Amino acid sequence: MNVAKLPLLPHQKSNSQVDLPYANFHELLKAKTGEAPSREFLIFPETDRRYTYQQFYEISLGASEWLASHVKDFGTICIIFRNTPEFLAVYFGAVARGIIVVPINTELAPAEMRFIIENSDCAAVFYDPELERKIAPLKGEMTIPFHPFADVANLPPVDAKNAEANLPKVEPTAPVVIIYTSGTTGNPKGVVLTHMNFIVDGIAIVNWFQLTPETRSICVLPLFHNNGIVISTTTTLCAGGSIIFVDPKASLRSFWALVDRYGATFTSVMPSILAALLSLPFEGKRGYLKGIICGGQLLPLSLMQNFEARFGVPIFEGFGSTEASSYSSFNRFPAEKRKIGTVGVVLPICDMKVVDDNDNEVPDGTEGELCIRGPNCAIGYHKLPELNAQKFRNRWYHSGDYGLRDKEGNYYFRSRKDDLIIKGGEKIYPAEIENVLSKHTNVTESAVIGVDDPILGHEICAFVNLKDPDANTESELIKYCAQSLARFKQPKQIVIINRLGDMPELPKGPTKKILHRRLRDYYESRLANPQGQEKPKWVRSSTSG
Amino acid sequence: MTQQELYAEVSPIATQILQIPQFESSVNMSSTPEWDSLNHVQLLSAIEKKFGIEISPDEAFKLTSADRLVQYLHGILKGKQ
Repeated sequence: MNVAKLPLLPHQKSNSQVDLPYANFHELLKAKTGEAPSREFLIFPETDRRYTYQQFYEISLGASEWLASHVKDFGTICIIFRNTPEFLAVYFGAVARGIIVVPINTELAPAEMRFIIENSDCAAVFYDPELERKIAPLKGEMTIPFHPFADVANLPPVDAKNAEANLPKVEPTAPVVIIYTSGTTGNPKGVVLTHMNFIVDGIAIVNWFQLTPETRSICVLPLFHNNGIVISTTTTLCAGGSIIFVDPKASLRSFWALVDRYGATFTSVMPSILAALLSLPFEGKRGYLKGIICGGQLLPLSLMQNFEARFGVPIFEGFGSTEASSYSSFNRFPAEKRKIGTVGVVLPICDMKVVDDNDNEVPDGTEGELCIRGPNCAIGYHKLPELNAQKFRNRWYHSGDYGLRDKEGNYYFRSRKDDLIIKGGEKIYPAEIENVLSKHTNVTESAVIGVDDPILGHEICAFVNLKDPDANTESELIKYCAQSLARFKQPKQIVIINRLGDMPELPKGPTKKILHRRLRDYYESRLANPQGQEKPKWVRSSTSG
Repeated sequence: MTQQELYAEVSPIATQILQIPQFESSVNMSSTPEWDSLNHVQLLSAIEKKFGIEISPDEAFKLTSADRLVQYLHGILKGKQ
């Protein structure tokens, strides 16, 4: 079907003719199963579980029937799982019934999970019993039902024909997920994405990289982020290929061994993963991997060059965001067509432009805000009409990322418009941490910045002003943050400004707004140690493996 | 070495690297935020050094709980005897 005939929002219309061969995720899975039922689809090395397309199709129908006994069709559920078959079974089972899935980051603190569960208006929470210790306090506090789901093997057997007949009609423009990302005000915001969003983006990426049923993706990013669910899962499914899922926390040391063992040809990572792999003494021996998609944070040119020189695998940098499903631009394929240092050219499904502060398009070579429109763009933010009006204004999604386009149509990413911290690919607004610090009885004001880290891109540094400068130590304040924030959001460094001789208070502008940029400059000039950046202590100097 | 003895040997290393109070059989990567990807690499390297072994990258990704790690070590060290 032609996407233009669907009821699209203004910012979902592009100048391109976009075809949508599958109305929804279930149709996509069913079609690919019909093409090659016995082809291997999912591989989970940690538990030695493998599923063909036919096996997983039946599992998804079983999960769908099981979910129907807990949730109404077109309702909303939260799911808290690692990269397991259970995550995918609940996901595919739910979306086949039009149920909207809200994947929750397993690393979040209970209070952060609670906010998402409440804000999403979900009917129930499904979770991995391995996370029981973390979920237990929420179960005690909340009236919403929590359902542990341990093993897809426990799903009741299902008659595929009957199960198919019981599925409701799910339109392409129906929401499929709400993905929560960090918000400027301190609370995360839910990005509402549709079946159409993911499928058009997945097909565009298949075509861009010429993926085929022989493609074997290795997924080392968490499925609760859209990169895992769109690039690794949806894209490989659109190609009819196979996917190897690994726990992101356990994958670094085994990455090349898994590539060799399973013949992985394709993967998608953050620059921090490339930096970590480069620091380790392990190599791939069989040359299976043909390309790596990379984005989510700035990729230093030296990192890219060193990685490619050592491992011989080309990196394809792109530009994207959760609000545009995943990527909207990529460097050209194959590798010799790339323009290194750029995030490539716009995908054929969408449009991109660069605008000034008045939303006027600027000439090529001029810096401005990068904007996207097309069928890969989200409906908007869940229950945030004012933010929607601001970010999706004038028929374009305004990314908040600054960059430019050259005469050949290549885009360059330069910086964020705001103070967003990107640590190992995780996006964190300072307000999330400042809100927590402001509740400490001895903190009068605080400001949080991202500071350079050789592996993660950014680390978090908090500047605090204390009522009594001697009443708390830096480590006490870090522990205080740990009570309310996921580990990846906790400051690595706290600077008590009362103890600084040359900065009596936080720098502020005329409206008394804290100037984070001035703090970053101060950190760079006074506190950073650019010459003495030590290698991470876990790096081994020997080579083996 | 019994599994109990192995726990006694591994616990001081793990509690120091992961910065957690105890390394007991209920500890797993999923519910221990401190057990992140970089600490996993560091933990396995420290264990290799302590026991004079090499943990195969083919197995390293499976060692995601205290129990799995100790059981794996038990098997490796038994094989070395």
